[in-house]
Amino acid sequence: MWLPLLGLLVGISLGLLSDIQIPQIYGNYLSIAVLAALDTLFGGIRAHLQQVYDDKVFVSGFFFNIALAAALAFLGVHLGVDLYLAAVFAFGVRLFQNIAVIRRILIVKWTERSKVSQSNATE
Amino acid sequence: MGKTIHWKFTVILLIVGFMVAVQFNSMQKPEERDTRDIWAIRHELSTEKQYHSELLTEIRELDQTISTYKSLNDTNAGKALSETVDNLYKQAGMTTISGPGIILNVRPSAESVAFGVPITGISPDLLTRFVNELNRFKGISLEIDGKRFTTLSSIRDINGVTSVNGLHISTPPFTIKIITPTMEDSEKLYNFLSASTIRDDFYLDNLLLVIGKPEANIEIRGYKERFENQFLREIPKGE
Repeated sequence: MWLPLLGLLVGISLGLLSDIQIPQIYGNYLSIAVLAALDTLFGGIRAHLQQVYDDKVFVSGFFFNIALAAALAFLGVHLGVDLYLAAVFAFGVRLFQNIAVIRRILIVKWTERSKVSQSNATE
Repeated sequence: MGKTIHWKFTVILLIVGFMVAVQFNSMQKPEERDTRDIWAIRHELSTEKQYHSELLTEIRELDQTISTYKSLNDTNAGKALSETVDNLYKQAGMTTISGPGIILNVRPSAESVAFGVPITGISPDLLTRFVNELNRFKGISLEIDGKRFTTLSSIRDINGVTSVNGLHISTPPFTIKIITPTMEDSEKLYNFLSASTIRDDFYLDNLLLVIGKPEANIEIRGYKERFENQFLREIPKGE
């Protein structure tokens, strides 16, 4: 549980300390990549909680989604259509759905656990 | 969770964290691009060079003072010191000086007189702007309506009346005297002021700035007040 959090902290501090800046024109790509990454991440957590987690799907999904989102944004820029909005919309909706599912699963788990502890106490 | 899952999640989270931090960085302080072209850079270089030459001039003057001190023996040291003090007084604008310069006249414009517009004094803003414009020229001495303008002088609005050094400026017409280091500088200043937009600013306030021809000898009075010295203290002898 703590190792992934540590990874997140190390990543953030690395990014902040290295003081890397990307040019304004590529800002769109990175923001959408971040969104895709978050989406995949929550998808992975959900899959794990639903016991359908697959390593290959998760890792390939992470990189593929990022690449696809960036490619969509790139295409959008060159076609003059804000296609990255489509990606933002899709990822945004999925993000909310995933988080909602995670929440439900956690609530169910929690209530089950409290029931078990109650029944244990009455016995 | 198996160990491999932990490990993969950690790597993915590290990447996510890094991306978020980079995005955050880029949003917080967007990189400022250097958009100066070669002439803008040359212009900056020339200002720096000017500073350089000014500093060199100052250093030379100070070196001269030092060599004067060194060459003099003890009996003449007092004289050298008093000369330096005199020099400093002159620099500070406390002595009456004379030299080549120009006389400016500020008076109400003919239109405002014809229309019967009430004549008001010059505004502090306009006077400050004018002095700033003049300060493009180095080494000039300035007297506004008989008040010597030094580095310590102030232009303020006191109870609705514009004042320099705390003394009221009379309602136009009044004169402004400027002394320049050389006659050539006077001519330069004359040309500069004739072409400057500062006259338009005066005209907006219903005033006319009449620029006189350069004259060989103009006298301006010294700063009459004593300088207030709040922070410097004399060190007792022998320390």
